[in-house]
Amino acid sequence: MEETLLKIREVRKRFGGVYAVNGVNLDVKKGGICGLVGPNGSGKTTLFNTILGLHKPDQGTIHFNNNCINNLAPHQIYKLGLGNAFQIPRLFFQMSVLDNMLVAVRGHQGDKLANSLFLREKWQEQEKGMVEEALSILELVELDKLAFSPAGELSGGQRKLLEVARGLMAGSSLLLLDEPAAGINPVLGKSIFQKLRDLSRNGTTFFVVEHRLEILFEFASWIYVMDKGKTVAQGEPQQIVKEPAFYEAYLGEG
Amino acid sequence: MDPLLYVFDVVVYVGIFGMLALSLNLEFGFTGLANFGKVAFFLIGAYTYGLLSQIGIPFYVCLIAGASISAAFGFLISLPALRLRADYLAIVVLTFGEILRLIVKNEDWIAGGDWGISVSRAISLAGASPRVNALVNIGLVYLCLGICFFVLQLLANSPYGRTMRAIREDEIAAEALGKDRAKYKAQVFMLGSAVAGVAGGLYAQYLQCVLPGMFMPMVTFTVWMMVLLGGPANNKGVLLGAVLVEIFDRGANIAKDYLTLPVDPANLQYILFGVLIILVLFYRPQGLLKESPVTTKALELVRNDRSAVKSNGKQ
Repeated sequence: MEETLLKIREVRKRFGGVYAVNGVNLDVKKGGICGLVGPNGSGKTTLFNTILGLHKPDQGTIHFNNNCINNLAPHQIYKLGLGNAFQIPRLFFQMSVLDNMLVAVRGHQGDKLANSLFLREKWQEQEKGMVEEALSILELVELDKLAFSPAGELSGGQRKLLEVARGLMAGSSLLLLDEPAAGINPVLGKSIFQKLRDLSRNGTTFFVVEHRLEILFEFASWIYVMDKGKTVAQGEPQQIVKEPAFYEAYLGEG
Repeated sequence: MDPLLYVFDVVVYVGIFGMLALSLNLEFGFTGLANFGKVAFFLIGAYTYGLLSQIGIPFYVCLIAGASISAAFGFLISLPALRLRADYLAIVVLTFGEILRLIVKNEDWIAGGDWGISVSRAISLAGASPRVNALVNIGLVYLCLGICFFVLQLLANSPYGRTMRAIREDEIAAEALGKDRAKYKAQVFMLGSAVAGVAGGLYAQYLQCVLPGMFMPMVTFTVWMMVLLGGPANNKGVLLGAVLVEIFDRGANIAKDYLTLPVDPANLQYILFGVLIILVLFYRPQGLLKESPVTTKALELVRNDRSAVKSNGKQ
């Protein structure tokens, strides 16, 4: 039996009178790439933000690695090993590309006030390995030449790539990616997914929202379909295309 | 007045206000916390120093106590800072400074109300001339300034400094990347306030008094001017800003005696200050010196490697 990494039960999130997420149940199993698809406004991003702790769910429970994370702050959830890349890049624009990557590091010794002053030798040494890791990820998304440029000077697509790269940086056990291939050229988009698959074999699990179904269905092992705030269908990519609910959600056919 | 003594006086002021500029730079320049109540923490440091030194406590203990009490108030101010947007925080902190000043002004029992209290020098040499006394003050102030500068430079060039900048750029993203912004903001406010508290203590013992009139909101705006002009998130820049604004301030003060103006010449400084702030924000929003990037050994190694590769490629 595969282990469930993320377990969501009856989660609801309301904004004013509208339920953006209205009773979602899903399980993300350890390993592989799990996809989440659905039309615009079906609540995918709200669900992600609720998992991340940026919104508190009104109802329901979210378990990550058998810990209930409903009432944890985003930074605590991150420290448990749940990382993410935002749909619209939220970069630190005046900081260099490399610094953007290094902010994401978990457990950097020098990130504590006293250590930053008194344990300089220790974290300086620790940081060398992190810089190497960051550069190898940046190479993958073809940003390594721009490592010392401010993130604000990147083009729209490059910002998206950096956002994804920053998500990959931290060695999360579960990474939520909101449209990682949107606005990126097809070849690079595909190579990102190939990299995700390689990483998933080393134990990282990915939960991915993506509208480019041809890429997603090639790499994902399980797909959830959301519509009007609910999960309406699930299955392997080959099966899901045969589901009427999938067509109904995407094409509005009765 | 003895011209040399006047120069010494300017040097001491640059040192004390340089410390305030460094502390505001930590909060605003690096972390994006718009502290428009800097003067409050300056006041706390000065009054703590004044009251403690009156009962015969040695000056370094007074300075440390001023820093600690100021840091405690800094922690209190960091609590609303979490919930408020930058502009509302600015109003809250600005008001806090005014409230403190009005309390010490009206409550005579604290420190003599409007009349203030006299404060003894930190280091008093028997029979020393005013020039020597000023030099001793310069030594003391610049020793403290040097320590603050050194510590804040270490902080800026560390992963901690990186996190401070990340919170300034996008605190939600920083939070989603595992940074406890409440903790960081509290620490930054405490450290910044401690530095301002030391500056306040030094100011009190230099002027040998504390009066509510020394802590008008204008002090805060002067420090902001130094940071904006010199370059936010650049510690050297804000010290340059402190030098320039102090010279500008004194220059305007002297010039007004020789000018005939259609307005009250006492206001000349403030008019010029306003104009200068507008000009800086329009034409040089990054300040005279640009933000200094985070520099750590690991980053330097990569940078050096790359420039080596580049120069080899050219050959």
